[in-house]
Amino acid sequence: MTLFALVRRNLIYFWQTNLAVVFGVAVAVAVLTGALLVGTSVRTSLRSLALERLAAVSHVVTSANFVRESMAENVLETPVTPEVFTGSVPIIAVEGFVTHQDSGRRASAVQVYGVDDRFWAFHGHVDTIQPLERNEVLISEGLARELGAESGQALLLRMERPSVVPISSLHGRREDVGSTLRVSITQVLKSDQLGEFSFRPQQGLARSVFVSLRRLQRELDQAGRVNTVLLKTGGNPLDADVSTNARELAVAEAAVRETINLEDLGLRVVTLPARNAIAVESATGLIGDATALVISEVANELGLRVQPVMTYLANQLRFGDRVIPYSLVTAMDLNAVTEYEPQTLSRRESPVVLNSWAAEDLSVTRDDIIDLEYYVWENEGHLSTHQVPLQVVDVVPLDGAAADRELAPDYPGITEANDVTDWDPPFEIDLGLIRPKDEDYWDKYRTTPKAFIPLEVGQQLWASRWGQLTSVRISSDGGNRMPDVERLGSALRSKLDPLALGIVVYPARALALEASTGATDFGLYFIYFSFFLVVSALLLASLFFRLGIEQRLKEIGLLKSSGFPPRPIRSLFWSEAFVLALTGSLVGVLGAIAYGELIMLGLRTWWVDAVGTTRLTLHMSETSLGGGAVCGVLVAFGTIAWTLRSISSISPRSLLSGNLSEVTLGGEITSFSANRNSRVALFLALALVLLGVLLVLAASLGFLGATAGFFSGGLVLLCSMLVFAWAWLYGRPRRHTSGPWSVSQLGFRNTTYRPGRSVLCIALISSAAFIIVAVDAFRREGTGMQLDHRSGTGGFTLLADTLLPIVHDPSNSAGRDALNISDLYEPTGPLSDVSLSRFRVRPGEDASCLNLYQAKDPRILAPTDAFVTEGRFAFGESLAESTVEFENPWMLLNTEFDDGAIPAIADVTSLTYALHLSVGDDFVLNRDTDQPIRLRIVAALSDSIFQRELLIAEHQFERLFPDYDGYRFFLIDSPPDKMGEVAAVFEDRLADFGLDVVSADERLATFHRVENTYLATFQTLGGLGLILGTFGLGAVLLRNVLERRRELALLRAVGYNAGHLSLMVVAENAFLLLVGVLSGTASALVAIAPAWIERGGGLPLLSLGGLLLVVVVTGLTASLAATISALRAPLLRTLRSE
Amino acid sequence: MSIMGPSGSGKSTLLYVLGALEPPNEGTVTLDGRDPFKLNESELAIFRNKCVGFVFQDHLLLPQCTVLENVLVPTLVGDSNTRVTERAIELIDQVGLGDRVDHRPAELSGGERQRVSLARALIQQPPLLLCDEPTGNLDRDSADIVASMLFDLHREQNTILVIVTHNTDLAARCSVRFRLNSQRLETVSF
Repeated sequence: MTLFALVRRNLIYFWQTNLAVVFGVAVAVAVLTGALLVGTSVRTSLRSLALERLAAVSHVVTSANFVRESMAENVLETPVTPEVFTGSVPIIAVEGFVTHQDSGRRASAVQVYGVDDRFWAFHGHVDTIQPLERNEVLISEGLARELGAESGQALLLRMERPSVVPISSLHGRREDVGSTLRVSITQVLKSDQLGEFSFRPQQGLARSVFVSLRRLQRELDQAGRVNTVLLKTGGNPLDADVSTNARELAVAEAAVRETINLEDLGLRVVTLPARNAIAVESATGLIGDATALVISEVANELGLRVQPVMTYLANQLRFGDRVIPYSLVTAMDLNAVTEYEPQTLSRRESPVVLNSWAAEDLSVTRDDIIDLEYYVWENEGHLSTHQVPLQVVDVVPLDGAAADRELAPDYPGITEANDVTDWDPPFEIDLGLIRPKDEDYWDKYRTTPKAFIPLEVGQQLWASRWGQLTSVRISSDGGNRMPDVERLGSALRSKLDPLALGIVVYPARALALEASTGATDFGLYFIYFSFFLVVSALLLASLFFRLGIEQRLKEIGLLKSSGFPPRPIRSLFWSEAFVLALTGSLVGVLGAIAYGELIMLGLRTWWVDAVGTTRLTLHMSETSLGGGAVCGVLVAFGTIAWTLRSISSISPRSLLSGNLSEVTLGGEITSFSANRNSRVALFLALALVLLGVLLVLAASLGFLGATAGFFSGGLVLLCSMLVFAWAWLYGRPRRHTSGPWSVSQLGFRNTTYRPGRSVLCIALISSAAFIIVAVDAFRREGTGMQLDHRSGTGGFTLLADTLLPIVHDPSNSAGRDALNISDLYEPTGPLSDVSLSRFRVRPGEDASCLNLYQAKDPRILAPTDAFVTEGRFAFGESLAESTVEFENPWMLLNTEFDDGAIPAIADVTSLTYALHLSVGDDFVLNRDTDQPIRLRIVAALSDSIFQRELLIAEHQFERLFPDYDGYRFFLIDSPPDKMGEVAAVFEDRLADFGLDVVSADERLATFHRVENTYLATFQTLGGLGLILGTFGLGAVLLRNVLERRRELALLRAVGYNAGHLSLMVVAENAFLLLVGVLSGTASALVAIAPAWIERGGGLPLLSLGGLLLVVVVTGLTASLAATISALRAPLLRTLRSE
Repeated sequence: MSIMGPSGSGKSTLLYVLGALEPPNEGTVTLDGRDPFKLNESELAIFRNKCVGFVFQDHLLLPQCTVLENVLVPTLVGDSNTRVTERAIELIDQVGLGDRVDHRPAELSGGERQRVSLARALIQQPPLLLCDEPTGNLDRDSADIVASMLFDLHREQNTILVIVTHNTDLAARCSVRFRLNSQRLETVSF
């Protein structure tokens, strides 16, 4: 006989109690480990999905402008590249809008890839995919499903046609920004055939179309050019560590810097032999300031002279009634064409030098004032005519520098025209003004400027966000020899950083892997969600272990009286506890796998709204399983050890008496101590009530955050109620019981038999009720139409995204005319009482909870100033300091930060759960590049439709993202009853822009569905905890009944029937249940008061009532089962056994 | 020695004080000149293990253990030698349960359980054997058997035997008899 043998005997003999302990531990471990497993599984699934979608791609080089297709090969030819990169492929990647020709179904945000055989070979799919013919496309399964499309059917594919000249500049072509292809589906690609190919992490079904690269290049007028180069590395992507990633990115960037040429950067170097000069021009027509600065620096370094030039098209040069239409005017250093001295100029007008042809035509001489009239494309989306008076300071002959037709850049639609009447500029011109002499000038001098003004004057008149020079002339110092073009080109190429000029090297795989750690840590969420369940299971385990010990108090007493020191007794029970905890943990690990599988099944099916993908599968993780099991053993063992701790102070005699009514774990009850303890507890309960009320008051008065204050206040009140219940039960309330309720009252009195157990039951039930009520109150029901300007929709009824940018403003008649929608705005038209707000858009990742990946490069919106001043939407926290800012936090977008940070606004839900930021924090765009953009969150929108994006001021947007032209997001304010009609006419008339209108309420509801799904998950787990709680309740009641079976047998002996006894026990249970439910519900209602008030005082009474009814019914059923089980024992045998 | 007295007079309390299970409010307890209440917790446990044997009215056998194992329970924490099992079997034989060594308490009658309890009390050969109503739960025949064995073993083991009982027959078999009355021990003669 050894202690070990005794432990073994105990474990076997008390198997029923031990089994219950093992069950409790197993459930706790299963839930805890299962939650960790779910977290790991979601992360691993997202990672697998991201890697599957990236296929072989490790890095992506994208360019705002199209670059040479051969760049893909050149990148691999640099000395350092082969060490890291094993392949590259050029593709075109643009966003498209697809219409299924047969059904008319449409899909927006479709990724269109222009690929050829090299793409499939790059990914190792060379034999599986047939080469694409001219009008053939391959589409992803997701797109096929969405459109209901099959092989052989036709699609209309609309894409943005890239424009070298910015469409928001004078020469931008605004009316022809899209291109439509009619294509035939040859194959629907499955995910293992690259159907889900994407280099932007997003878990939803990929909507992709693969078109022949040649076809797409031709359609987009980009022959031999692409906008994306994919790179791949060797080795296992999962082996890459931080330093490897950094090295790979550095090599890719170096390779791009070495490979890129001036043409890729949109720059042309034109030799001008007649002038012994070189002109550096931009394909966009304007040279950006940064580029112009580099050109000047390079020229200076080479000892060359720089002549900046800005040439613009004037609508008219006018003097009195004499007019020269459509003339080019060059702004430059006037000394190049005249010898006049600027300081001699005394008039306030700016100077102008006319060529002799123009002076003669206008009949002007020196000092005359002429008017220069020109167009400006205003940011608001319309052309306006401006006029400036200029004083003629000189008239120069049409020779030398003044006869330089190369001073004008290449204007598509103008410079290549044979006649002026053949001009086809993207703005309105009055060809009727063209005179024969103008045609003669064009024939003879082409684009030779007729007038010259100082550079600074021209820049003041015509500068835009794309630049303030049309070319930079470079010549040798004396101007008598031609500069070395090669040397200049090479110097420019090495000085101009392509990564600062619209070319981005994107470590797609590293970022995808990083993003797959998730915006949403499901492991953590499920641990939060399951917390109550874990605690319930542990309480249950502790409860059963405690019951087991109470059963064996005499044994402990015997061991003590036999000379067992405390340590061997502790060792004995600790050994048992350890074995039970270990067994429970091992069983729990198996349970965790089942639980994890169940949760993953739930995420794929019932809760798919929250995750948006069915690709989540369970992934075993030794770390999660091992960690969960070890945690389970430690926590369970700790819980049991804590239970054991309480028996050490009980005297052997008390233990030996075995009379449980005289022995309470934690001390013996005497009338005196009961009263004293009861009083202490009563004071504690009152103190907690006071604390709870103080917290609620502090939150009401704004000293504490509303949610934090009320929620903690509610929890403290719950604790106070439990302490109060304990005090009341511990004080052994005496009450005369008589009348028809006497049997029930006897049952109520029984709750004082073991006050600790009763309070534990109340705690389990009240916590469950608290969780269920609190969570249910946060559920966002469909609120119907929100027309309040301070609501989550801002009072807008519809919102629209467009594929193609719209530069014209539908708010004014010129814009409506340009968009051909003026008729809709007539007094009887469908849009007569409709207004809209428009936003600039830089596409990016979805920053809302709909995207499980953490958004590293979120979508950016920029509202117009008009929208900002309206002050719509509701805000939570903000950095507002002035009254104006408090009243309208949108104004904070205009804040100027000393450190150059850009003010940004985001929705509080996205900030908290997706971006993990708070107001005042910075979000860094382009984090891994040399050009990081720091966005500082200045205000948080409350529950709004702006959950997918960050918003910045329009002027900041134009500065930071000049390549993203026009407006692509619109909020529409229409009468609710006309929503359908308004949406239909917008979609119909602006179909060429790929306009997609959705209800603002529906968009908000989409976000709410995610929140509600999380809440439903929370409630489900809370419900499981409740079931465990009722198990515990049943177990306690059964134990109480068994312990009091002598008393019950006696009652039967004196005439109580089974009905009386059942009523007594059920009354006891009902009392505990009701106290638990009421205290839990009352404290939860306090906790959720802010949300309750925010919702206008409405509560989902039906669902709440239903849930609480389930709590009560389950609890009563458990008690009935316990009673029936206990009362089944025959009377005589029970009495005899005692 | 036997101690009698009305219920609530403190007989059992006196016994627990003598057995070092409860400290006295006043006065001292010594056994062979040692005051157990001056010992620390572990020394006190050793004192109980080596010097005191208890027989309770409720036999307090471990239901999960066999007769032999129950008798051996005190030896689990004492300085047991290899002979304890032989001694346990000897004692079990002496209480007449030699053929029930591997039985569980549930398979024994009340008298038999109390005999096992007696063997357990004597396994460490304590100088002091304390019995709290050892026959209180037994029928007359069983009580007689247990009482006989109790006295036989007391003589054989040469222990100090203190019995708290209501049973006058059992008390009469003791050479020294006391009645506890108003917290005072009075000598009783039959």
